[in-house]
Amino acid sequence: MTAAAIEARGLVKQFRRPGAQPIRAVDGLDLTVPAGQIVAFLGPNGAGKTTTLDMLLGLAVPDAGTAAVVGLAPRAAVLAGRVSAVLQTGGLLADLTVAETVRLISSTFQAPRPVDEVMDKAGITALAGRRVSKCSGGEQQRLRFALALLPDPELLILDEPTAGMDVAARHDFWDTMRADTASGRTVLFATHYLEEADSFAERIVMVSHGRVVADGTTSEIRAQSSGRTISVEMPPDGADGGDSFVARVRAIPGVSEVTERGRRAEIAAADTDAVALVLLRDLGARGLEIAAPTLDSAFLTLTGEHLPPGATTDDGASGGAGSKAVTA
Amino acid sequence: MNVTYLALELKRFLRDFMGVFFTAVLPAFLYVIFGAAQSWSKESVGNGNVAWYIMISMAAYGAVTATVSVGGSAAVERMQGWGRQLGLTPMRDSTFVVTKAVVAMIIALIPVGLIYVIGALTGARATAAAWIVGAIIVLIGAAIFSIYGLIFGLAFRSESAVGAASGSLVILAFLGNIFFPLSGALLTVAKFTPLYGYVSLARRPLTQGYILNGTESSTMLYEPLWQPITNMVVWALVFGALAVLAVRVGRRRQ
Repeated sequence: MTAAAIEARGLVKQFRRPGAQPIRAVDGLDLTVPAGQIVAFLGPNGAGKTTTLDMLLGLAVPDAGTAAVVGLAPRAAVLAGRVSAVLQTGGLLADLTVAETVRLISSTFQAPRPVDEVMDKAGITALAGRRVSKCSGGEQQRLRFALALLPDPELLILDEPTAGMDVAARHDFWDTMRADTASGRTVLFATHYLEEADSFAERIVMVSHGRVVADGTTSEIRAQSSGRTISVEMPPDGADGGDSFVARVRAIPGVSEVTERGRRAEIAAADTDAVALVLLRDLGARGLEIAAPTLDSAFLTLTGEHLPPGATTDDGASGGAGSKAVTA
Repeated sequence: MNVTYLALELKRFLRDFMGVFFTAVLPAFLYVIFGAAQSWSKESVGNGNVAWYIMISMAAYGAVTATVSVGGSAAVERMQGWGRQLGLTPMRDSTFVVTKAVVAMIIALIPVGLIYVIGALTGARATAAAWIVGAIIVLIGAAIFSIYGLIFGLAFRSESAVGAASGSLVILAFLGNIFFPLSGALLTVAKFTPLYGYVSLARRPLTQGYILNGTESSTMLYEPLWQPITNMVVWALVFGALAVLAVRVGRRRQ
């Protein structure tokens, strides 16, 4: 039978720092991806996603554990053109044109797909003569995608492919991806956008501190979340000199987490009904909404930390009220 | 070696107007000003004339400017993520190094070729052997100096550091007795600087080991062959060691 697309066992990668404890970027990570699956690798910045992908691509050597890709050692799989990747920003020569870049990378492969074909697939034919330095972030990602398609890989790895794109460019990119993966390619993509993981992947692997903390379909992972969340409009802090609204909410028994998002506060609690009553009756909150568990709340439950703010919805990522910008 | 890569690299170089100017046009211009246009250029030296002496000096300067910038940019490119992109291809590191080395040699040939043509047309004279051996020494020395550029690129990881490395060659060229003949204490100091042995060897097919003693004196000094050779070998070893060190430090920082 065909080997699994990815088979990683007990991967460990440490980074030494001068005069400090080494950081364990990846700390005993196991991952098996069967051929043909589309998997999101979800976690906040610093969770060890890029380091893991580097080890799967042979760009980094694990300190412990083993990684096999399409049944081969990672570097051997790259040499055979059976795995390819879209890496995070950086890594293109600014003074080449788009077409020249594709031709250059194409020249390193034994039997690449035609340059015109991959440029067409990635939707960059119209940009052929443009200098890489003049391309937007989204256009550069499409170029990297075209480069990744050159060997016609069985496994495609994408490291935060839409980081830094606006919403429209992100949707375009995923539309292109969707058209491509109809061919049965295995895809593993790292992201911290829940929406992307939710809409594009059939399976989500959540990582935190270099370990897998959850693994399953979107709905399976949602089910692991303990509580609902309350969102309310915060009243202006009163002139009575008392505690701020957030501080008062924190004092309510059963409240586990309060996050300010602009003029609204998001509150996680075990018994949301009881907390909602206090909020409306005693604290003057308005516009109350109670939400079913989201992937973010599942992540919070599993790891005790939020995914980056603003990464939870389309609105948030495009700079909706009060959310912080997400940087790659 | 990868021919497509080579061709695209040369295209990149020719697109960079400032790069072409500083590596090819400027050294040729310096030769015309300080060599061909001067009254002393037709005076004879060793196997030829002063014009050839200045011509080979400027060719040497142009060639190192070219290789230092290619070596430096290669290091910066790899550091800034292009190395990761190439890591996703079957291209081997050795192929990358060989391709870049050939690029550096071809780009170094541009100023050398240009200056040789201008020299031949403006009365630079030497034996045929001097023309050939001089060019070979210039290219070998330029190859060693590509490591000098590499060190700057590895250590500072920015294009401006590579510019600084090329710029520092102007100072080293003065100290190395390239731009005008030094004498006395300054000449003694010059013998320890990195470009000295290189340019002295390149001139040797013409001068047979005699070097100009400043601009005033008409006497020439004899220099034993071991002096420029020792200079070049020692500096090649120093550059090699520094490059290895820079690679190690760079790896630790990742």
